[in-house]
Amino acid sequence: MSAGHRSRSGARGQWRRALRDVRHLLAFRAATVRRRRAAGSALAAIGVVTVLAAVLPAGMRVDADLGRMLAPGLAGVAVGAAAAGGGGRELIGRDAAAVHPISPVSDHLGALVLAPLSAGWLIQAWALLGLVAALSGVRAQGIAVAWVLMATALAQAVGWTAEWLRRRGPGWALGRFVLPVVVGLLAAPVAAVVGRIVRTGGPLSLLATAAALLALAVGLVVLGARAALATSRLVPRDEGRLESRTYALRTTPRSDLAVLRRIDRGSVWRSVPLRRGTWLLALAPGSIALAGGLSWSALVLMPGLVASGCVLLFGVNLWCLDGRGLLWRETLPVPPRTVVAARTWVLAELLLGAGAVTLLLGAVRAGRPTAAELLAVVLALGVVVGQAVSAGLRWSAAHPHAVDLRSARATPAPPLVMVGYSLRLAVATTVTGVLLGGLAEAGRTDLLLVLAAALGAVSAYRISRAGRRWSDPVRRARVVSIVSAG
Amino acid sequence: MTGRALFRGVLVDALRVEFGAVEAVTGVDLRVEQGQAVALLGRNGAGKSTTMRVLAGVVPPSAGSALVGGYDVREATLEAKRVVGYCPDVGGLVPRATPWEHLQLSARLRDLADWEGRGRRLLERFDLGDVAHRVTSGFSHGMSRRLSVVLAALHEPDVLLLDEPFDGVDPVGVEATFDVIEDARARGAAVLVSTHLRDLAVEVCSEVAVLRGGSRMATISSGFMAGDEGARAYRALLAG
Repeated sequence: MSAGHRSRSGARGQWRRALRDVRHLLAFRAATVRRRRAAGSALAAIGVVTVLAAVLPAGMRVDADLGRMLAPGLAGVAVGAAAAGGGGRELIGRDAAAVHPISPVSDHLGALVLAPLSAGWLIQAWALLGLVAALSGVRAQGIAVAWVLMATALAQAVGWTAEWLRRRGPGWALGRFVLPVVVGLLAAPVAAVVGRIVRTGGPLSLLATAAALLALAVGLVVLGARAALATSRLVPRDEGRLESRTYALRTTPRSDLAVLRRIDRGSVWRSVPLRRGTWLLALAPGSIALAGGLSWSALVLMPGLVASGCVLLFGVNLWCLDGRGLLWRETLPVPPRTVVAARTWVLAELLLGAGAVTLLLGAVRAGRPTAAELLAVVLALGVVVGQAVSAGLRWSAAHPHAVDLRSARATPAPPLVMVGYSLRLAVATTVTGVLLGGLAEAGRTDLLLVLAAALGAVSAYRISRAGRRWSDPVRRARVVSIVSAG
Repeated sequence: MTGRALFRGVLVDALRVEFGAVEAVTGVDLRVEQGQAVALLGRNGAGKSTTMRVLAGVVPPSAGSALVGGYDVREATLEAKRVVGYCPDVGGLVPRATPWEHLQLSARLRDLADWEGRGRRLLERFDLGDVAHRVTSGFSHGMSRRLSVVLAALHEPDVLLLDEPFDGVDPVGVEATFDVIEDARARGAAVLVSTHLRDLAVEVCSEVAVLRGGSRMATISSGFMAGDEGARAYRALLAG
């Protein structure tokens, strides 16, 4: 047997093993789902919406230019998120996986399987399916599906490559910022060609294009696996750097609230996924707004997008910030309401900060706003932060999860739960933005203030109620026992 | 009862703890005098850690009463927490805070003055002085255990609760933990040590309480639980 033949059969064996392992891991994940009926309903709902998005818009009239914009948009955003995520989601947590012989290829395939379980991915995929249906009917949906698969594989490959660059050292790390831009620039002309074929191509060219995109997707999956293998041989530098560095001695704060805030801030900014995610969400939407020269009427939607994204980093499972340390913290003599106040403060300041950075970037090319537009944007920021914080507090107490936010790929809740949270947040904050934007366009500052006050009051009531509920020792003990069991 | 009782040790009476349909503790009685160290022994799931969590004010009792340092943990939880030093059985550390920040938090919330010198001495005694300003997520299991004991001891509590303090700890750490227990006893604190390590428990405690299936089987003088004879007696108690 030749060396080449041995190597090919070895590679085939590796892929077979990886596919088998992913099947086992998926079965394991499915078996550990706590609310099975809800999970089944959620998956069914996602399937129904996907079919409706692919079929219903057929025959509707839309602006043809939108088709050219959406495809690179899908690739761009997915690639950006994957690059920050350092290899996508984990099918099984890093510590739990450590005792099993799970290869980087299995890890890579698992992340690909989990990629659709994200509101950002789903919304973009639904939008693309809907647009293709509206532009060319159902006949071109093969291309839309193939494009989505290709973009997902591309995002994953970029994610692993960015992580590989990051782990190579400071000299290489800059490459990770350039990589998504280069990929975006390369994807744009391809998307233009595909868009043209979608609108004007015959059945044969549609089929050939879909087949070519699928072949490209397979190639990118293989490329991603190679990047995953290369990355797995390097030490995760960011985590090592944060864990081994010495933090300067600071004086003891003067109040209980201040010392709790300091600890909570440290828990956020010393966590690799939280730090990366916050910067990405603060800068990426703002940069898109800056590049696209979005108007103030569009900017009013931005705070909702950023707040929804940021609260998903840890806000939907707030108590997991302490990990197993929550057990010790719970023995400290401090009123529960002070603990809630500190955590609420830290979450709110993070959401406000990220939203403000986005708005400042967007404002550069948005022109001079009217008073109503400016008011709407500022009020939108405050209102959606209130909505996100109140939702986070409620969900954190109702559905806590034991999570280690040490890994760059960690998320605060299981994937399907995250989809539910993100869709609910997206709907609430988008509706808020649309309503405030509409009132600003009508020049009704009086109604703007009334609506913002009403929405703010609802959030304030919910936050206050969550604080009161945290004072119940039985509820608290349940959260502590779950979170500290991780 | 929200005031402080005269008895400042640990007094547990008919304690029951339920988690839904599961009864983790089914009637524990326990008494630890001031200046006394008592060990809690028992198999996994015997209810040792749950009892400790009740005494630390983390888990509210479903029935019965628990008094620590003169305070009822159900009625005067905050006051009880102030006089208790607790080393939890698992983890117990905020992953992205440094040991010094843990000490600062504990000291601030307990209004301790001039605690820094004692904090430094304890860290040095437990061989953690060099890592005082690094986050704990990079710590080994043994280092985390040692720091948990330091945190429990910082404020010289009236009641010291140590849950598995020797688990995975090197001989230097075990010796330092012995010193902490001895110091606490000497200044009149009540000490309760939950552990699987019978030999260490009898070395540092005067009495041993054995739990089985969520209730106390016996309280025996440490002398009777030492050596081979003690091992046989312990096995007999566990087997019922």
